[in-house]
Amino acid sequence: MGDVLGPDFISDLPQSIIESILTQLPIRDAVRTSILSSKWRYKWASMTHLVFDEKCVPLCNDRDGVDKSIVKFITSVLFLHQGPIHKFRITNSYLQSCPEIDQWILFLSRNDIKELVLELEEGEFFRIPSCLFNCKKLTRLELFRCELEPPLTFKGFMCLKSLNLHQVLISPDAIDSIISSCPLLESLSLSYFDSLALTIRAPNLKYLNLEGEFKDICLEDTPLLVELSVAMYMTDDIAEHFEQSSNCNFFKFLGGVPNLEKLVGHIYFTKYLSIGNPGNLPIIYNNLESIELYQVGFEDMNEMLVVLRLITSSPNLKELQISQGSSNMSSATDAPNMDFWAKKCPSDSTLGHLKVVKLTDMCGVPQEMEFIKFLLGCSPVLEIMSIAPCVHDMENEMRMLIELVKFRRASTKAEIVFTRE
Amino acid sequence: MQPYHHVSNHESHHMKSYIWLKTADGAIQQVDEDVAMFCPMICREVLQTGMGASKLHAISLPQRVNPAILGLILDYCRFHQVPGRSNKEHKTFDEKFIRMDTKKLCELTSAADSLQLKPLVDLTSRALARIIEGKTAEQIRETFHLPDDLTEEEKLEPLRNITDDPRIRLLNRLYAKKREELKERKKLKNVEVEEDEPKDERSVDDLLLFINGANGDMKGTRVNKNKKKNRRRKDHAKDPSLQNSNENDSKELSPLPSACHHDNFDSSFVASPSKNSRTQDLPAVNFSPKLEFIDGDLDDDLDPAMKEELDREVEDFARRLNSDWEARMQEILCEGQDRRLVPISTSTNGSTHLHTGLHRR
Repeated sequence: MGDVLGPDFISDLPQSIIESILTQLPIRDAVRTSILSSKWRYKWASMTHLVFDEKCVPLCNDRDGVDKSIVKFITSVLFLHQGPIHKFRITNSYLQSCPEIDQWILFLSRNDIKELVLELEEGEFFRIPSCLFNCKKLTRLELFRCELEPPLTFKGFMCLKSLNLHQVLISPDAIDSIISSCPLLESLSLSYFDSLALTIRAPNLKYLNLEGEFKDICLEDTPLLVELSVAMYMTDDIAEHFEQSSNCNFFKFLGGVPNLEKLVGHIYFTKYLSIGNPGNLPIIYNNLESIELYQVGFEDMNEMLVVLRLITSSPNLKELQISQGSSNMSSATDAPNMDFWAKKCPSDSTLGHLKVVKLTDMCGVPQEMEFIKFLLGCSPVLEIMSIAPCVHDMENEMRMLIELVKFRRASTKAEIVFTRE
Repeated sequence: MQPYHHVSNHESHHMKSYIWLKTADGAIQQVDEDVAMFCPMICREVLQTGMGASKLHAISLPQRVNPAILGLILDYCRFHQVPGRSNKEHKTFDEKFIRMDTKKLCELTSAADSLQLKPLVDLTSRALARIIEGKTAEQIRETFHLPDDLTEEEKLEPLRNITDDPRIRLLNRLYAKKREELKERKKLKNVEVEEDEPKDERSVDDLLLFINGANGDMKGTRVNKNKKKNRRRKDHAKDPSLQNSNENDSKELSPLPSACHHDNFDSSFVASPSKNSRTQDLPAVNFSPKLEFIDGDLDDDLDPAMKEELDREVEDFARRLNSDWEARMQEILCEGQDRRLVPISTSTNGSTHLHTGLHRR
C-alpha cells in the first residue's frame, strides 16, 4: 500500500486535472499559483479557459485606474500564455473600449479560440476588428454592445454553434448573411435590435431567442427548431408597418417549425402573429408541449384566434401559460361575439394532454371567462389551473369566482387555484 | 451435498453478480456489478475483455488506485448508480463525500481520473480549487507540501510583468546604489574631477549603446562617462524626492517618448527579459550583490548625510517589502494603478537624463 503519490501530492497530477482545478479558480488565483514552486511556475500558462470577470482585478475608487489595470492584466496574461486558448471571456463593467482589445482578438484568432464572450462597460460600443472573422474554429460567440461588420470576404464560421448578439450594431443584410453562412448554428439569440427585418435560414437551428423591435421576422429554413422565444417591442414605425403589412405572419413565422417543443412569446408577439390571414392551413405541432404567451390582448379577436389556433394545433400540449396584456380592458365590455366562441372552439375539441394552466393578470371580462370555460371543458387530464387577477378588487374577484364555480370541468382531478396578491 | 445446498440458497436469495477487482498491491476485492460498472474503465474492461467475472480473472486496476481509495470510489459509485435520486440528494451526498484531508483528496482525484470517472474528477477538482482559492502562497505550499524552490527573482518574474510597480524599481535602484557605492568608493576622487556638466546631452544612440553594452573603445569611454553622469544625476534626482519618487518617475518618464520607443514597444508589460534581469535584483532578504547590471543608478559620490538617508530609506523599504509579500502585492496591485503611465521598457538610466538643473551640490 502506501502513497501512490510522493510527498508533494498535487504537482504531478495529470495536466487535465490541473487544468480542471485552475479553471475553477478565479483567474487571479490561478495566475498566482506561478509562485508556488518551480513545477507550478507555468502550469497556469497553459490553461485553455480564460475568464476575466468582475473580480479579476482588485477594485478601488479610481475607476480609470481599475480600467487600466484590467487592460494590463489581460494583456500580460495573454502574452505569458502558451498553447491554445479555447475559451475567452471578459465580463467586466469597468473595462472600457480600448485599442488593446483589437490586439487581444488578433491574438486569440491565432490561438484556436473556440468560445468568445465579450461584455464590456455599458455605454461604449467598440468596433470589433475584422480579425474576429478569421477565427475559424469558433463554436460560440457572444457579443454585447459592439459594432460588427463582416468583411466582404467573409464566408462564415463553419463551426459556430451558438451565436448571441446583444445590442450589436450591424446591418440587417450582414446579420442575415452571418446566420445563413454558419451551417452548424444551433442556438441563436438576438436582443435589443432596432427595427430589424429578419430572415432566418439556419437548417440546424434548434434554439431561437429574439428580443427587440422587429419589423418582420421570417423563419424561412428552420425545420429543426425546438425552442422559440420572442419578445417584440413596438414603435410607431413598426405599428405602421403592421397596419400595412399584407403578409400572413403566422405562417411566415410558425409555418416551418414542425418540431417545435416550446414556444414563448412576449409583448406584441401575439399581435404580430395575428396579422394576416392564415386561412385554414393545417399545421400541426406534434411536439409542442409548452406554450407561454404574455401580454395577450384578449379584447382583440384576432389575437384570441392566434391563441386558439396554437392551442388546437398542439395535440400534445402539456403546459399553458397566458398573461393578459391590455391596459384598457374596460373598453372591451361591449358584448363579445358569442358566436366567435361557438364557432372557433368546437365543444368536441380535446386538449388531451393539457395538465397545467396558468393565467395571470386576468380582469374577469367575458372574453377571459369564456376562454377559461373553454379550457376547463376540453381538458380531460387537467391537474391545475391557477388564476391570478390583475387588480386587487374584491367585487371583481367575487364575480370571477362565482362564474368560475359554474364552469363544467372535463377533468375530475382539476384543481382551480385562485391566487391573490 | 452441502456445497450445492449453499449455492442454490445463494442463488435463490441474491441473484446478484459480482465483479472482481485487483489493486496494484495484489489485493483482490469483490464488488457488486452495478456499482463497479458505474466506472467507465471497469465497464469497458468487462465488456471488451470479459475479465472480472471471477477471482482468478480479476480486473487489474491502474496503479493510482489503492485499496483505501478504491473503497471511497466504490462508495461514490454505490450512491450515484441508484436511479431516481434527486439532484439535491446527489449534491448533499457529494458535499459530505469530499470532506477529507487534502492528501486523500488528491489521491482520489488521481484515482478517479485513471478510472475515467469524470463526475468524480470534476467534484474533486472543484474541491481542490476551493481549497486553493483565496489562500496565500505560503498556505497553499503548506497544505500541499510544495517545495518552495523558486528564487525570489523567479517569483517576481511573472508577477512583475503583470504588476509593474515603480516602487519596486525604486527599491532596485536603491539597492544598486548601495552596492555600487560600496564597490566603487575607490574611484570617487577621479569621478569627482570628471563630472561637471549640468546637462546630459547624450543622444538616443548613446542610450542605445549604453543599454546594449558598449563595445568600442571610444564609445566605451563615452558610455562610462555617461554612466557616471547619469549616476550622479540619478542620485540628485532621487534624493530630494525620495518620498515622492513616483511623481518623479512620472515626470521623468513622460517627456521621454523617443528614448522609450526606440524599441518600438507600446505595451507596458513587454519588458524584455534583459530588463527583468536588470531590475529583478530584488534580494528580499540579503544584500548580496547579484548581477553586474548596467543600470545607471550607480552613485559613487554621495556625501555622508545623503548616504545615510539613502541607507535608511533602503532598509525601511526593504523591511516593508519583505514583511508580507502577499499583502504587499495586493497593496501594490491596488495602489500602484494610478501610477502607471509609461512603458517599463524604458531604460532607467535614460529616465534621468532630462533632469536638468539639478547640480551636484
